[in-house]
Amino acid sequence: MKNLRNIFSVAAMLMALSSQAQVGQPYIHDPSTIAECEGKYYTFGTGGGGLISEDGWSWHSGAVRPGGGAAPDVLKIGDRYLVIYGATGGGLGGGHNGRILTMWNKTLDPNSPDFKYTEAIEVTSSDGMEDNDAIDPGLLLDPTTGRLWASYGTYFGTIRLIELDPKTGKRVSGNEALDIAIDCEASDLIYRDGWYYLLGTHGTCCDGVNSTYNIVVGRSRQVTGPYLDNVGRDMFHGGGKMVIAAGNRVAGPGHFGRTVIDEGVEIMSCHYEADFDQGGRSVLGIRPLLWKNGWPYAGDRFKGGTYEIESERRGYSLELAVDFTRMQQERQAWFRQEDQQKPVKPVENQKLEEVIGSWPQGDIPARIGDYMFRPHQRWTITPVPEAGGYLGGPYYKIVIAGTNRALAATEKVEVTTVPEFSGADEQLWRIEQLIDGTFRIMPKVIPGKKGINTRYVLYSAGDSTPTLAEYDFNTDNSKWNFRDR
Amino acid sequence: MKRLNFTPLLLLSISMAAQNPVIRDQFSADPTARVFGDKIYLYPSHDIPVPEGQRKDWFCMEDYHVFSSENLTDWKDHGVIVTQNKVPWVRPNSYSMWAPDCICRNGKYYFYFPSAPAAGGGFAVGVAIADSPEGPFICEPEPIKGINGIDPCVLQASDGNAYIFWGNGRCAKLKENMKELADDTPKEKVKWGDREIEMVGVNCLKDLPNRQAEGPFAFEYNGNYYLTYPYVRENTEVLGYAMSKNPMGPYEYKGLIMAEHANGCWTNHHSIVQYKGQWYLFYHHNDLSPKDDKRRSVCIDKLTFNADGTIQEVKPTMRGVGINKATEKIEIDRFSTASVGVTTEYVDTTNYMRSSCVNLPLKGSWMKYNDVDFGCITDGYLIINVKASDDTEFCIRENNAKGKVIARFKLTVRPPEPPAGGAGGGMMGRFSRDLRNQWLTQTATLDYTPKGVTDLVITNEGNGAVSVDWVQFKNRPKYFTPSTAQPIQPDDEGFIRRWLLLEPIDKPNSGNTVFTDSYLREHFNREYFKGQQTILPKDGQKVNAVFKQEQAPAGFGRGMGQAQPTKPEVKTVKQTLTWHALDSERFNVKLFRFAEKWGQQVYGVLFWAVTIIDCPEEIKDVRLAVGSNSASMWWLNGEETLLLSGDRRMVKDDAMSSRITLKKGRNVLRGAIINGPGMSDFCVRFIDEKGNPVKNYTIINNK
Repeated sequence: MKNLRNIFSVAAMLMALSSQAQVGQPYIHDPSTIAECEGKYYTFGTGGGGLISEDGWSWHSGAVRPGGGAAPDVLKIGDRYLVIYGATGGGLGGGHNGRILTMWNKTLDPNSPDFKYTEAIEVTSSDGMEDNDAIDPGLLLDPTTGRLWASYGTYFGTIRLIELDPKTGKRVSGNEALDIAIDCEASDLIYRDGWYYLLGTHGTCCDGVNSTYNIVVGRSRQVTGPYLDNVGRDMFHGGGKMVIAAGNRVAGPGHFGRTVIDEGVEIMSCHYEADFDQGGRSVLGIRPLLWKNGWPYAGDRFKGGTYEIESERRGYSLELAVDFTRMQQERQAWFRQEDQQKPVKPVENQKLEEVIGSWPQGDIPARIGDYMFRPHQRWTITPVPEAGGYLGGPYYKIVIAGTNRALAATEKVEVTTVPEFSGADEQLWRIEQLIDGTFRIMPKVIPGKKGINTRYVLYSAGDSTPTLAEYDFNTDNSKWNFRDR
Repeated sequence: MKRLNFTPLLLLSISMAAQNPVIRDQFSADPTARVFGDKIYLYPSHDIPVPEGQRKDWFCMEDYHVFSSENLTDWKDHGVIVTQNKVPWVRPNSYSMWAPDCICRNGKYYFYFPSAPAAGGGFAVGVAIADSPEGPFICEPEPIKGINGIDPCVLQASDGNAYIFWGNGRCAKLKENMKELADDTPKEKVKWGDREIEMVGVNCLKDLPNRQAEGPFAFEYNGNYYLTYPYVRENTEVLGYAMSKNPMGPYEYKGLIMAEHANGCWTNHHSIVQYKGQWYLFYHHNDLSPKDDKRRSVCIDKLTFNADGTIQEVKPTMRGVGINKATEKIEIDRFSTASVGVTTEYVDTTNYMRSSCVNLPLKGSWMKYNDVDFGCITDGYLIINVKASDDTEFCIRENNAKGKVIARFKLTVRPPEPPAGGAGGGMMGRFSRDLRNQWLTQTATLDYTPKGVTDLVITNEGNGAVSVDWVQFKNRPKYFTPSTAQPIQPDDEGFIRRWLLLEPIDKPNSGNTVFTDSYLREHFNREYFKGQQTILPKDGQKVNAVFKQEQAPAGFGRGMGQAQPTKPEVKTVKQTLTWHALDSERFNVKLFRFAEKWGQQVYGVLFWAVTIIDCPEEIKDVRLAVGSNSASMWWLNGEETLLLSGDRRMVKDDAMSSRITLKKGRNVLRGAIINGPGMSDFCVRFIDEKGNPVKNYTIINNK
C-alpha cells in the first residue's frame, strides 16, 4: 500500500493533464495577461496575489499584488512593470462606484530586493450612479504609436477607453473616457497587423459549473473604435464574435490575455469558471491563440494521441527510415464481369507485428515519405508529466505506435529514433500550435548544447529529409500537422 | 537641456477649483494679482521642494508661472514665464526668484522680479517685457541700476508717473522706458548694522511701524495712495497699511489688513486688486506644507473699505472667494463656518497636497459652505467622498442646519454579523468588508434641487463620526422623454423607441439561468393584472396587479452553502402600477433606469411593454428582431411571435421571429421582459428579407 500516495498523485496529474487547465494549484479568477520576469511567469488575479510558474506549465500561488480589488492587468513597459487594477466596485459588497489605479514595480519577483510597488495612482473612477463600473481594466501599449490605452467596465453600463501616459502610468491630461462597448466585462485590447481588437467577456460569471462566461471579439482600424464583429455589428450594440467558449470539461472562460511567444506562436490566457476535473474550481487556462481571416480564436490544448506527423512543406509524413513492406492483396480486375459479382471484403491495415521484425534493432534514422498509414508512420504522442513544461503545455514523448521507439534529437542537430524511450531530455518534445493552425515540434534539449532549447525545431530539410533547424514561421519547413487518418 | 522633458508639461494648462489655497498642485507664494482686460492674472513666486545641494530650511524658488482666471474659481496655469538660469544677470542655481510684479503700460507688459545677481551683492531687481500678460517675456540683460533689494511693486499713479517700491518700503520714480530709475532719484546713506551703505529713493516707512518690513504693495483708490506691507508686529508678519495723498508719501500708518497667521507661518505677502466691482486681498499661507513655512500657497479673501477710505481687517478663510458650480468637484472641507468641534485634517499626512477633509464628530455637528451655483443642475444626483466611524446618517441641506434636505445618506459600514450556525455568510457576505473609517464614494439622488446660488450645509444626523473630503453634483443622463401626441417613426436603424412601459412587477429571481423555456411560458402566461394581453394602455393609467410570488430560487447571489428551499414559499402580492408613455433616447430601452425612476425595485423584476404601430399598407415577410436583458417574450397582434430564453444580454438582432406580416393599419406589439440581477433593457426592430430595417410605418401614442 506504500505506493498509494504515488498512485494517487500520478492519477491526479493525469487527470489534470487530460483537462484544459494548467497543473499545480492554478486557482485564480480574472488572471492578468501573463508577464515574464527574470525567467519566471506571473499572473495576478482578483482579490490580490497571483500565480507564479517556473516553467509556464506548473503554477502555484505566491505572486504579490497589494490593493485587493478586482481583475488586474500587468504590462512591461521599458524595464518596469505597470500593474493596473480596480480597487472597488463590481457590485461586490457595495455599489458600482469603482476606482482604477496603476502602480509600478521594477520586478515581479517578491523575493527580489528591487521588489517594491510605487504608490498607486487613480486613473479613473465610476460614481456608482453612472452607466459604468470602473473595474476590470486591460492595457494596450500601441506598438504603432507608443500610446498607452486601458479599457475597463462591466455589464453595469459601458466598456470605456482611456489613455494613460506610458512614462508615468497616470491618465493623460484632458483625456475623456470613450464608450466603446456594452454587454461585456473583463475586457482587453490587443493590436495585430493594422487592427485593434477588443476582447470582452460575455455571459455570467461566478456560478460555478453553470457559469456561461465566454470571450468575444470585435475589431477596428482605430483604437477608439467602433469595434465591429464579423457581421459588422458594433460591440457598442452588443456585437462580438466568439473566441473561446466552454468545452472539454471546462466552462466559463473569461478575462482574455494575449502573449506572443515567438513569431507566429501565440497563446491566450484566461480563467475557466469551472474545471470539471478539478472539482469545478476556477483555474488558469492557457490555450494556443490562432488567427483566421484576421480573427482570433482559441485553439485546443494539444492532447496527444496517435497521429501521422505531416510536413506542411510537401504533405509527406515523418517515418522511420525502414524498408517499405508491401502488403498482400487479392486483386480483382474491374473489367472482369465475374470479379465484380464477388462480395466486397475489407482490407485490413498493415500491423506492427507484420513489419517490426524487419526493422533494425538500434537507432533508426527518421525520414519523411508518402503517407501510407503504415506502422512506421504512426506516432503515439504522450505527455510526460514529470518532465515539466513550457508556457502552456507539458513536454511529450513521440514514439512509434505500439513501441517505445522514440524520436530524439542528436548531437549533430539531426533527428533519429532510439529503440527505448528513456526519459532523456533529447527525447522530450515541446509541441505548440502556431497561429495558422499548424504545429512546431521542438526538442527540449540538443545533446551537447547548453540549456533548454528554444530555437531548433523539427524541420523539413528536403521533402524527404527531416532535420533540426532554427524555427522560422515564414517557411513551411518549420511546420507540421498532426492527423489521425 | 536636461529639463527638456519638463517643459512640455508646463505648457499644459491645468484648471483648478476655487477655495483657499487656490493653487493646489504646486506651491505658490507672494501673489501679485493684476487685472488685464476682463481677466485677472496672478503672478506669484514659486516655492519648490528643496533640491539636493540647497539649504533645506530656506526659501527655494527657481522660476515664475503665471495663472489667469475669469471667475476667481478656475485658475489656468500658463506655465513658466521666467526661469533663473535663462536670466543673463542672475547667479545660476541661486534659487532666489522672490516676489514679483507685473504691470501693463503703453501696450507692453513689464514683469519685475528680484533675484541674486551673478555679480554678487544681495538682491537686484530685473525687468522682463512681453506683448501679452502670458508672455513670452524677454529679460533685460541687466537689472535696474540703483536698486539693491527685493520685492518690487510698480504703482502707476494718476499723476501719469510710474513709481517703483521695493524692499522695506523704498520708492523711486521710473523713467518712461520703465527700465531705469528717474535721473533725479535721491540717494541717502543708510546704516546697515555697523556699516553705512548708499541707498537710492525715498524710505516711505521711515517713521512707521516697520520692523522687518518688506513686500510693499502700493495702489491708488478714491484719491488716496495706499502703501500696504508685511512687517513683524510681535514674532511673525502681519499685513499693515499706511495712506497718503502723494505716491511717495509721507504716509500715515492706519492699522492692520491681516493679523499674524494663527499657525505661526512666519511670512505673509499680498496684493490688493479690484475685479468686477469687488476688492480682493491676495495673500499666502502654508496650508499645503504645514511643517515647513517656506513652502507657501496663495489664498484670496474679500476686502472691504470703510467710507473714510480705511480698510477693514480681513480674517483669513478656508472658503476663499468665488462661486462653485455644483458640477465641480468641491473641496467642501474648506468650509465657511461650522459648529463647535468641527475640524479639518489632511487626508494623507505624507502628501499634504492630496486633500483635506472635514470631520463632523457628533450628531448635530454641521458645516456650511457658501456660494454653490445650482443653475447647471436639472436632474441631479450627489456624489460624496465620505468616511464614517459607524453606521450613520447625514444630510446635505440648504442654507442652514435645519434647511431643506437636498440629499440624505444612510451609511452602512459595519460588516454584517455572520449568520447563526456559521454557514459561510453567503456570497455577498464573502465580499462584505468592514467599511468603518474607510473612504467611500457614495451617491444619492436629490430630494430637492436648489435654485441659483445657495449655501450647502452638511449635518451629522446619526450615531457615528462623519468625515467628508469632497462633494460633486452631476446630472443624470437622459434616458427617456414623455411621448408626444405626434406619431413618430422608427429610428434610422429601424428601432422602435416609443413604448408604453408598466412599472415593474416584483418578481424575485436571483439568477438568470432559471429562465428556461418552460419557466417563461408558465410565468409569462400567468395573469398579473386584468387585460394583460389585451390592454391598450394610456399614459398614467393604473393597473392593480395581484399575483402569487415564489421565493427566489437558488442561483448567483444566493448564499454559498445555504440550503436550497425544497418547497419555495409562496405569497400573494398586490401592487398598484402605472403605465408610462415614453420615447427612449437610445436605440435600447433602458428598463433598469425606468425601474430606478418609477419602480419599487430594479432587480428581480418583470416588465410589460406595449407599442402601437400604424402601417400605411400591409408589409409582408418581415421578422421581429429583438435583443433583451434578460429573457423576454413578444406577441404581435395577440399571437406569440418570439421567445428569448435563458441568461441573455441585450444584443442587437440577437433573436428573430419567423416571417410575419404587419397588417395595414394598427398593429399592437406586446412584450414581457424578465430579469434577475443586472441592468435590464431591450431593443426591438423589424427586419426585411434582405436584412434591412423596416421603417415605413409610424408609432403612435395612445392618447
